[in-house]
Amino acid sequence: MFRLFSIPILLCFVIPTAGLAEVVDETEIDQKVREIAKTLRCTVCQTENIWESGAPLAHQMREAVRERVIQGQSTEEIRAYFHSRYGDYIMMEPPKQGVNWLIWLAPFLLLFGGGALLWREVKGWVTRTPPSQPPPALDETSRRRIERELNDNQ
Amino acid sequence: MIIEIGHFSVVIALVLAVFGIVSSSLALRTRDADWVRAGRMALTLIFILLSVGMAALIYSFLARDFSVHYVATNSNSQLPLFYTIAAVWGGHEGSLLLWVFILSTFSTIAVWLHWRTQPAIMPYLIGMECLVILGFLLLILFLSSPFDRLIPAPPDGKDLNPLLQDPAMVMHPPMLYMGYVGFSIPFSFAMAALLSGRLGEEWIKVTQRWTIFAWVCLTTGILLGGYWAYYELGWGGYWGWDPVENASFMPWLVGTAFLHSVMVQEKRKMFKVWNLFLIIVTFSLSLIGTFLVRSGVLTSVHTFATDPERGLYILIFVTTIIGIAFGALMLRANKLKSQIEMDSMVSRESVFLFNNLFFLVATATVFLGTLYPLMIETWQGAKVTVGPPYYNTVFMPIALGLLFLMGVGPYIPWRKASQASLKKNFLIPVVVGVVSTVVLFVLGIRSLFALTGAFVVGFSGAAIFIDVGKISSLYARRESINLLKGFFSAFTANQRRYSGLVTHVGVLVLVVGIIASTVYQTEKVVSMRVGDEFVMDDYRVKLERIHDVRGKNWSAQEGVFEVYEGDTLLTKLRPQKRVYDASQTPTTESAIYAKNMGHIFLTMPDVSADGVAVARGVINPLILWVWGGGGIMGLGVLLNIFRPRKRDE
Amino acid sequence: MTRTTQITILVVLFALLSLFYQGLWGDPRHIPPVLVGTRAPVFEGPDVESGEPMSSEQYKGKVILVNFWASWCQECKVEHENLLRLYDEFKDHPEFVMVGINYQDEIPKARAYLQRYGSSFPHMQDVKGALAIDFGVYGVPETFVIDKQGVIRHKWIGPIVDNVYTNLTKNVLTPLLQRADTQVRPYDQAP
Repeated sequence: MFRLFSIPILLCFVIPTAGLAEVVDETEIDQKVREIAKTLRCTVCQTENIWESGAPLAHQMREAVRERVIQGQSTEEIRAYFHSRYGDYIMMEPPKQGVNWLIWLAPFLLLFGGGALLWREVKGWVTRTPPSQPPPALDETSRRRIERELNDNQ
Repeated sequence: MIIEIGHFSVVIALVLAVFGIVSSSLALRTRDADWVRAGRMALTLIFILLSVGMAALIYSFLARDFSVHYVATNSNSQLPLFYTIAAVWGGHEGSLLLWVFILSTFSTIAVWLHWRTQPAIMPYLIGMECLVILGFLLLILFLSSPFDRLIPAPPDGKDLNPLLQDPAMVMHPPMLYMGYVGFSIPFSFAMAALLSGRLGEEWIKVTQRWTIFAWVCLTTGILLGGYWAYYELGWGGYWGWDPVENASFMPWLVGTAFLHSVMVQEKRKMFKVWNLFLIIVTFSLSLIGTFLVRSGVLTSVHTFATDPERGLYILIFVTTIIGIAFGALMLRANKLKSQIEMDSMVSRESVFLFNNLFFLVATATVFLGTLYPLMIETWQGAKVTVGPPYYNTVFMPIALGLLFLMGVGPYIPWRKASQASLKKNFLIPVVVGVVSTVVLFVLGIRSLFALTGAFVVGFSGAAIFIDVGKISSLYARRESINLLKGFFSAFTANQRRYSGLVTHVGVLVLVVGIIASTVYQTEKVVSMRVGDEFVMDDYRVKLERIHDVRGKNWSAQEGVFEVYEGDTLLTKLRPQKRVYDASQTPTTESAIYAKNMGHIFLTMPDVSADGVAVARGVINPLILWVWGGGGIMGLGVLLNIFRPRKRDE
Repeated sequence: MTRTTQITILVVLFALLSLFYQGLWGDPRHIPPVLVGTRAPVFEGPDVESGEPMSSEQYKGKVILVNFWASWCQECKVEHENLLRLYDEFKDHPEFVMVGINYQDEIPKARAYLQRYGSSFPHMQDVKGALAIDFGVYGVPETFVIDKQGVIRHKWIGPIVDNVYTNLTKNVLTPLLQRADTQVRPYDQAP
C-alpha cells in the first residue's frame, strides 16, 4: 500500500527539481546597482545612462558599480568615484552648484518674471480700456442663449 | 545613368529656385502679373524636378546600385524592400533631399490652392519658398550630395543602420519633416503680410488649416519617434530628452502656442505682432533644429556626421532666413500697433496670454537644456550632461501648469468672466480634481507628480465632460432626439470648438499614460537558465527555451518566455538578441504583451556561452494611453481640418 | 515694438549666433580630462603575452607612458608604429617606462595583434575595463604620461601621429625626464 502511494508523490516532488529550475530574483545589490547606474552617463553614448546603454563601456561601468556595491560602498561614494574619473560629464544632470544654478533656476525665473511682467502689462491694458461694453462676439451670444435656455429648462 | 538624371534635375531645380526669387522680386517691383505666373511655373517645375530627383534615388536603392556612394553606405543587397525605401531617408544626404522635396510639394500646393483668393500674397510666398528651397538645394548639391558616385563600386553595401530597420522609422522622418516644412506655409504668409503691410486676420484664416496640418504631422512624427525608441532601443522608455528629440519638440511647443494665440487675433483682432513673432520663432526653431542635428555642434544618438564646413554653411543659411524674418518684423512692427482692449484680467484673452507664456518658458527650458552643454564648453571648457533628471524636475511643473490652463481656457468667456460664471463653470471640476487626488492618495499613491497630475487631469477632464454633457442634452431636447444624437448634432454644429476639445481629451489621456508609465514603471533584470522563472508584480515569467532564428538579413538568439498570471498562461514572449549580417551590429528586439492598457515588456540583452540568459522585464502601466492619447489628438485635428466650412470662415 | 524689445531680440540672436559659430569648431566627443594634475591610480594586471603579473608599483619613481589600445581599434593601428619608434627613442633612459594597456579585448586577438604589428614594450591586460575606468578612459587610443612623483601630467585622446608625436616627445617626455618639477604643456595644446 505504502509503496503504491509513495511513488507518484515522490515523482511530483522530483519533477520540478529535476531540471534544477529555480525562481530567480533580483538581489538588493542588483537594485542598488540599477539605482546608481541610472544616474551615471555612458560617456561614449549620447544622453544615455549606463543602465540603459548597450555599449561595452557602459557594461564595464555597470560591473565597476557592482563591484563597489559589493564592497559596501555607499551610493554617494560610488558616484564620487566616477565623478573623480570623468568629471561633471558623467552625471546625468548638472550638479547643483556654481554657475549651474543658472540652468536649474532659469525656467522658474522666466516663469515668474515673465508672469509678473505679463500681469502688469495686462493690468495696464485693462485699466486703459474704456469701460463701455461693446456687444459681445457672435458665438458668445449663442453661448449665452444656450446657457439661458439651459437655465430656463432647469 | 539614372542617378545622373536625378542629379541633373536637382541642379536645374536650383537654377529655377534662383529664377523664382528673381521673378517674384520683379513681380513686386513691376506689378506685372506675368512675373508671378513665371514664378508659379518655376515653383511647379522645381516640384517636378525634385520628384525626378527623389525617384532617381529611390530607383538606385531598389536597383541596388552600389556605385552610388549614398546607396552603398545606407543599404545592402539583403535589405528587405520595405526598409530599402526607408533607407532613402536613412542618412543625412537623402533625408535632406526628402526635406526639400516635401517643401517643394507643399509650396506648390499652396501656390495653386490660394492662387485665386490671395493674388497679392503670391510673389512673397513664391519668393520666400524659393529662398528656403535654394538654401537647401545648395547644401545638398555642394556639401551633402546623395548623387555622388563611388568608383569602383563595392560588391555590396554597408547596410542601413539596424536600429533604423523598423516600421516606425519608415514613417517617422517624413512625418517630422512634413511638420517642420508645413510651418513654412504660414511662415511665408506671415512674411508676406509683414512685407506687404496687409496685416489683417487674412493670413491667419487662410493658413489655419496649414498650421494645424503641420502641427498634427509634427505631433505624429514625434510620437512615432517615441514609439520607435520604446520598442527598438529596448529600455522600455519612449522619450530620452535627447538633443534631436528636443530639436523636434521645440517647434512643436511654439507651434502649439501659435495655434492658440491666433484665435485671439481672429476673434479680437489683437496681438498681431505677437502672432507674427510666434510663427517666425516656430519656423526658425525648425531650421535651428536642422542646424543642431546636422552640424555636429551637439552630440546625440542621431547626429549625422560632423563637418564644420557643412555646419558653417547651414548656420549662414539659417541666419539669413531668421535675419530676414526678424528684420522685417522689427522694421514693420511699429506700423501695426493694434489697439489692445482688455476688459478684465479674467478673460479668455488673458488665459491665452498665460498659455503662451507657459509654452514659451517650456520652449526656453528645452532650448537652454539642449544648449547648456555647448555653452559651458564654449565659456568654461568644461563638459556637463543635461539629461532626463534635469528635465523631469524643471519641465514637469511647467507642463502641469499648462494642463491646468488647458482646463480653464475653453470655459472662460472672451472679454470678461463674471464671478458667477466662474463658479458655475469651475466648481464641479475643482471638486472632481480634488476628489481624484484624494482617491489616489488614499490608494497609497505618494508621488507628488502623480497627485498633482490627478488634480489637473480630473479638473480639465470634468470641465470638458460637463460642457459636452450640457450641450448634448440641450441639442437633444431642442431637436427631440436622444442624447447621443444630440451629442453628434451639437458636435457638428460647433465642430471647430469640439474638435479642439477632442484634442484636449487626447492630451489628458496621453498625460495619464505618461504619469502612470513613468512613476509606476517596475523593472527587473535577472540572469536565468532555461526552466528558471522570475516574478514581477502579479506575473511569473518562465524561460522555456532559447533557440536560434534566422531573418532575411539577420540571425538571432530568441528566448521563449512563458508569462503566467497565477497558473494561467497569458502568452509566450519572444525577445531576440539579433546580429545583422552586413554590419555585424547587435540589437535587442523587445517582445511586448499588452494587458490592462499596460505592457509587459521583455528583452533579452545577453546570452552567455553556457546558456545563462539575462532577461529584463519592464511593466509599464497604462502605456497604451500614451499612444491612444496621441491617436485621439490626431482624431481631433482631422475633425478640425475636415469640418464643414461655415459662412463666416 | 519698443526699442528695448528690439535690442533684446538682437542681443539674443547675436549671442546664439556666436555660440553656434563657436560650437562648430569644438569636438563634441572631447571630454576634458579631470585626472591631469592628480595622482595616477595604481594599475596592475597580467602581462598580455606572458600572463605574468605586472604592477605599476614596480615602476615607482619613473616617468611612465601609458597607452590604452585594443586589437579592434583602427586608430591604434595607425599609431602603433609611432609607439614603437617612441619606445626606441627613450628606452635607454633609465627613468623611462612605457606600458600598453590592452582594453576591452580578447587575449588571443591581442597577442596576434602584437605579433603582427610588433611589440617592444610590455602590455597589461584589462579585460574587464576596470583600469580604463580608473583612468577615466572612454575610448581607445588614449595616452597618459605620469611623472616621477606619480602625478598624471599629460593626456592625449586619439592616435599619436605627426604633431602629437612631436609634442609628446619634445614638450612632455623630454622635460619630464630631465627635471621633476618641469611645467609641461597642458594636455590639449598640441602645437
